[in-house]
Amino acid sequence: MVDTGKSVYDTHKCRLLRKYDLTDMETLFLFRFEDPVVAQDWRFKPGQFVEVSLLGLGEVPISICSSARRMGFFELCIRNAGRVTSAIHKLTPGSLVGVRGPYGNGFPMDQFHGRDLLCVAAGLGMAPLRSVFLYAIDNRWQFGNITIINTAKYGPELLFEKELEAMKDIATAENIAIVQSVTRDPDYPGLHGRATEHMEKANVDPDNCAVAMCGPPAMYRGMFDYLVEKGYDPRYIFVTLERRMKCGVGKCGHCNIGTATSWKYVCKDGPVFDYYAITSIPGLI
Amino acid sequence: MRYVKISKANTYKFLERLKAKGTLYAPTKISEKFYDFREVNDVKAVQFDYNRTIRPPRRFFYPARETMFTFDTTKVELYENVPEDETIILFGVHSCDIVGLRIVDSEFIDENPDPYYKKRRESGIIIGLSCLPDEYCFCNVRRVDFVDAGFDLFFHELPDGFLVRVGTVTGHKLIDPNMDIFGEITQEDVDYMTAFNEKRGEMFPIQGNWDDLRYFLELRRDHPMYARESEKCLGCGNCTLTCPTCRCYDVKDIPSIDGMTGERVRVWDSCQFRSHGLVAGPHNFRPTKESRFENRYMCKNAYNKDTTTAYCVGCGRCTYFCPADINFRKNLMEIGGYKEAV
Amino acid sequence: MAIIEECGDICRPKIGVYALTSCYGCQLKLATVQKIMEIVQAVEIESFYMISSASRMGSDVDVAFVEGSVSTEKDLEELKEIREHSRILVALGACAVNGGVQSWAEGDKDYKKLYAEVYGEGKITMQGRQATPVSDHVKVDYFLPGCPPEEDELMYFISAFLFGTFPEPKDYPVCAECRLAGNSCILIEKGEPCLGPVTTAGCKARCLSHNVPCIGCRGPVPHGTAWFDSLAKLFKEKGFDRDYIRDRMKIFGAHDENLEPMLDKIFGGSK
Repeated sequence: MVDTGKSVYDTHKCRLLRKYDLTDMETLFLFRFEDPVVAQDWRFKPGQFVEVSLLGLGEVPISICSSARRMGFFELCIRNAGRVTSAIHKLTPGSLVGVRGPYGNGFPMDQFHGRDLLCVAAGLGMAPLRSVFLYAIDNRWQFGNITIINTAKYGPELLFEKELEAMKDIATAENIAIVQSVTRDPDYPGLHGRATEHMEKANVDPDNCAVAMCGPPAMYRGMFDYLVEKGYDPRYIFVTLERRMKCGVGKCGHCNIGTATSWKYVCKDGPVFDYYAITSIPGLI
Repeated sequence: MRYVKISKANTYKFLERLKAKGTLYAPTKISEKFYDFREVNDVKAVQFDYNRTIRPPRRFFYPARETMFTFDTTKVELYENVPEDETIILFGVHSCDIVGLRIVDSEFIDENPDPYYKKRRESGIIIGLSCLPDEYCFCNVRRVDFVDAGFDLFFHELPDGFLVRVGTVTGHKLIDPNMDIFGEITQEDVDYMTAFNEKRGEMFPIQGNWDDLRYFLELRRDHPMYARESEKCLGCGNCTLTCPTCRCYDVKDIPSIDGMTGERVRVWDSCQFRSHGLVAGPHNFRPTKESRFENRYMCKNAYNKDTTTAYCVGCGRCTYFCPADINFRKNLMEIGGYKEAV
Repeated sequence: MAIIEECGDICRPKIGVYALTSCYGCQLKLATVQKIMEIVQAVEIESFYMISSASRMGSDVDVAFVEGSVSTEKDLEELKEIREHSRILVALGACAVNGGVQSWAEGDKDYKKLYAEVYGEGKITMQGRQATPVSDHVKVDYFLPGCPPEEDELMYFISAFLFGTFPEPKDYPVCAECRLAGNSCILIEKGEPCLGPVTTAGCKARCLSHNVPCIGCRGPVPHGTAWFDSLAKLFKEKGFDRDYIRDRMKIFGAHDENLEPMLDKIFGGSK
């Protein structure tokens, strides 16, 4: 480990530039680093997260959902669910927050290069996968065909629905399939059903495809069975997990999971895990 | 390695001299059965023959509550609350606790160093002390009953004093100016140490090693022991708070009344508390007492790659200080299928 | 960060401190915290009889601190009125949070008989009721347990409230704080009937630090994590009988719904 002289808890000042309401519960926040040096040097990988600090209230871990190609700025999709997140929702543009990170392993995008890419998201899972998806678009030449399946229980809960709809025109020309579906909303005008029910719309080749997923454990189990049966290579199936990551650096112990043979910190060893870790370590999902 | 010898009487002199080098803490009797590392005022109160302290030595380097930052809420500035320059000297640390500290080091120094712990630990002095096991000890099956790193000096019992192993340069510097009270060892002393260690080895309530235990824990996850024993559990967290290797902490912000400033403090947490696995939603990843109970059994028996041992060092605290009389060692033996020594 | 959202930095939040049936010890504690002068500058006190003669009932407040249990019909009326006029209602102290010692004998004696026995006929015009925690009657936004509450918790609550949030309530027992305080364990060592393992933390094990076993004044650990059954089993093994254990656990825990079923689990049958 290179000693940078910086504390592992080093916090950067970030200014909120804009808020975009996505759903009743989730809002997209655009932040910029105040320090130009940090803005220039700060890099992250899709699937990584930051700890956002509201001084006086506390910190929360939030997945980065913007493109890793965009320097100095980053976007966070935050659900209004707790003490700190509800206060973040009340922030007005121009407000300052503290940000530590990025933390976690992120998706191994380098390993995905040269392959087709399948992204499967459910609910808030679309937030980290948006970063993966945008990475693939920004590095289009590194990937084969791309499919993204975005699902939610109800239509109004579909994250980034409009953004993905708006991309559909150019997507077809770029061999990108965008599928959005709801599972419990009879009034939704679009597609209905779980991700596995729309796999025929995917334009990817199981023999040469990387899969990135984020959603509830039940979705992982269903998708794993489906993918393995269809011949997807398990070495290229990755999911990201959510736990209570208080410190982000493998210290505070709140995100510990696994068993005595494979004891993991989700914040440090994850939050992205591969198929074999998920299926061999009890307690991960 | 350098070896020297010191008489019991001179040991008190040495302790007196150590007090001039920093703040000296040593095992002190606090009640009929319990001991704790306390600051030494009267060196005669130092206990050489104790089993285990109620609070683990990690607390000197990683306090149960500390302010990490103070902050200015309007400027959004954090000011790191760097620990004061202070030499913490721990005398009388048993081998299990020395490995315990090394395990905390592996998490708090070796990877993503925690500046607060690192600073205190690196200026600290650790002086080990040999011991004889009681029925709660099982450091031998954890392979930490004899240490060869992690101490500056290690005192091994002799009939009339101690044989001292010098572990570090800091240790040499403690010995060199004090050669008026230290002397050279004899063959007799070495023979005594051999006999002592042999006697000690036979005294443990269990023999062998538990390297395969973590696999049995995984293979017997549904063992009825968990339901039976967690039923007795009070969820008080004493097992984790007395543990020399537990490290979980919680963080909270405390604003000032005018809201302009505040402090971010961290406090020891325990996986036995309900809120440990709680996230916004609210959803709890360890919602039941049994799931929290099992969590500790898994965590403590995981493998630390730096010490090449389990996170549990077999000090016996979690059993000795469990108000509900839950016997960690015996429960693990049930899972591992091990038998008591005859 | 604005103190009260609606008014930015302009106005100060209005505070009311009210007492139902109680010893007034909780508001005495609040009135005598070290930083009381800082507090009165940050807030506007609408009602706090102990420190202001301008106090009155019935004015609108942002936060109402209510001490005492609901032990009379008048208490109940006043409590409902306080609730109507407050944005945030805080139960202050053991009586408000858990019913206090006055609910010790709840369910054991006929209330009317007891009342007649104690007060006789005629002289007392007040309509008595079985003492109950305020949360039995109105919505409570935050609980500050303790007999009386601890200064650091009062201060943390006030500063966090002024900041627009609440502190995360403690959901672990006194037992944990006792260990951190470096006390020996009198439950293990002397077999004392200590309620530390089932009592909400926050007092930093004050009594235990003086070798006095915990009587549970801060009330049972919330969220059903006060394991009366495990502790009762332990006490039983140490030679205490059911009546003694039940009596002790009921002093400040009579209103915990888990208490009786958990005791039944250990001793069998209902009393």
